[in-house]
Amino acid sequence: MGASLAGRLERDPDVEYVAGLDTNRPAALLERTELLEADIRSPVIARLIPQAEVDTVVHNQIIRRPGPGMSARAMHDINVIGSLQLLAACEKSDTIRAIVIRGSAGIYGAEPHAPQFFDERMTRLFPLRTRFQRDVAEIENYFETYSRRRPHVVCTMLRYQPSIGPSLNTQITRYLSLPMVPTYMGFDPRLQFLHEDDALDALVAAVKRPVRGAVNVAGEGTIGLTRLVRLAGKPTLPLAGPLFGPAVAAGRRAGMMDFSDDFRRLLRYGRAVDVTRLIEEVGGRPRYSTVAAARDYAAKQGGRRLMPSFRQAVTG
Amino acid sequence: VSDARAGERLREPAYATEADGDRGRERGAPSGMEAAFGFMRLLRGGVETGLDVPEALTRAAAALPRDARDTVRRSARRLEGDYHEDEWGFDEEFTDMVLPFFEFMYDKWWRVQVTGVHHVPTHGRALLTANHAGILPWDATMMSVGLVREHPLPRHPRFLVLNWAFDIPWISLLLRKVGGVVASPYNALRLLEQDELVAVFPEGVKGAGKSFSDRYRLQRFGRGGFVEIALRTRSPIVPVAVVGSEEIYPKLGELPLLARLLGSPYFPVTPTFPWLGPVGTVPLPSKWRIEFCEPIPTDNFGPDAADDRALVFELSERVRETIQQKLYENLVKRGAAFV
Repeated sequence: MGASLAGRLERDPDVEYVAGLDTNRPAALLERTELLEADIRSPVIARLIPQAEVDTVVHNQIIRRPGPGMSARAMHDINVIGSLQLLAACEKSDTIRAIVIRGSAGIYGAEPHAPQFFDERMTRLFPLRTRFQRDVAEIENYFETYSRRRPHVVCTMLRYQPSIGPSLNTQITRYLSLPMVPTYMGFDPRLQFLHEDDALDALVAAVKRPVRGAVNVAGEGTIGLTRLVRLAGKPTLPLAGPLFGPAVAAGRRAGMMDFSDDFRRLLRYGRAVDVTRLIEEVGGRPRYSTVAAARDYAAKQGGRRLMPSFRQAVTG
Repeated sequence: VSDARAGERLREPAYATEADGDRGRERGAPSGMEAAFGFMRLLRGGVETGLDVPEALTRAAAALPRDARDTVRRSARRLEGDYHEDEWGFDEEFTDMVLPFFEFMYDKWWRVQVTGVHHVPTHGRALLTANHAGILPWDATMMSVGLVREHPLPRHPRFLVLNWAFDIPWISLLLRKVGGVVASPYNALRLLEQDELVAVFPEGVKGAGKSFSDRYRLQRFGRGGFVEIALRTRSPIVPVAVVGSEEIYPKLGELPLLARLLGSPYFPVTPTFPWLGPVGTVPLPSKWRIEFCEPIPTDNFGPDAADDRALVFELSERVRETIQQKLYENLVKRGAAFV
């Protein structure tokens, strides 16, 4: 996503200079983006960032789920220590006017007693239950402190709901591509998604028009999990609450699935956020509603089969 | 694909074309068993020719009488995820599907009589405020049925439900689909700003869990939060008195230890529950009366009225007294509780 953002900014006539900071070179071809190869966790960036003399910093690297070969500890380091190093580097720069962070709506949690729509002020309604939630909250705290100390820098914390889209490989798309989709028996949570195109658009919109504080980012409306799975053409495997954990653990050992605690809570209780601030202040109304994003995903997956047909089963 | 579909159509029996469902029945439509066999035959044929299950169901439904056919087609459509839920998760089609069961409870079981339904505004926001009793939120469902049945412009009210219900499998799902939301002031504010009809039970768990000896004695109305919400959104408050819900589960005592174990606010003991197991959850067939009272307007107060504690308590007390008085009136009108 960092590379696509750089590509978009390159093509923008209002943007003079783009620099990208990453540990490895991007897959996409970039023309006038200067590449700074460094680890966000290392103090080196405290030299690199002031040298670049940029006015806006986009922090795009908050990891939702450790990928293969990454421990939970490494994820925590990148998320929390990385953000701290980045802020330390920003302190040294005199040119920075805005920082945009791609955070997560996971900070609200997934709660059975939650209001049906979280707005930006409702972060403290429930205790932080998972490690990822605590990390995100810590990051938000650092940025809040920073923006208090440096009132001339506008810090925008974008709280993203999970993204969905045909080209993405995220927890939700991996979940929906399982042959049987496990669900909590007797629960049909309301979920909210952001289309992959809108995810990028929202980031660009916030770079061009940063606002102070947190902004929820999601497609409008919600979709029930059952409806989502049916649209994706998959049979569900309802599991009673106490069985869900062991079943998922068995699936992980078999290498089939790997859900984070946050995702499991989401599958049970769901979450939706209020996006008024995104639409009215940032001015980035997502083009896809949640249902439209889910439909787009399902249509481009091609399959509307609830079960393999008899003929398919015979001929393979 | 279209050719194959045309072929399917030709093979459909003549009595089952969509246009003449009813005439077909008059001409000696198939008996129940025949229809069921025809349905199964077509379903198997459809699946064997490589159709999806929902698609095959739709085709096979042609062999059924019209009502059953509609039901099967609707289920097939819903199986494909082709139904609508609004952003709150309210599913109007589902609500209409389960309505017959609640109508049975309304007409036959509790013989509900509704008065004053014209006090509920036909459009725009309003806050229905009712007394709450009877352990399970049957009173909320009967209010909904009453409005849908008796109101000249039927509306589905949204109701605020005790939080812990959303922890329970199936119950949480059912509540959400028929228009229930978590009892949070944020939800109430948002719903009213969307010009919905919202039902609240300010007594909350104190009302639902009170014992049989306290019946028809209104409990404290919380801290008047519902009045604040009404003032903030300038919605009229419509007091509602429900008579009859107090007798459906006569609560004699409770088992607090078991309640704590289950995480529920109370674990009731009634003459039938938990002794008879699931049968004990069948409510007693008392006779009901629901009266919608004259609305109390809130748009004549200033913008800061919601922060005025004294005003909030005064209005809250007024609503409470109205409901209490109407409860007594309707109790007299109803007469005996069960016959």
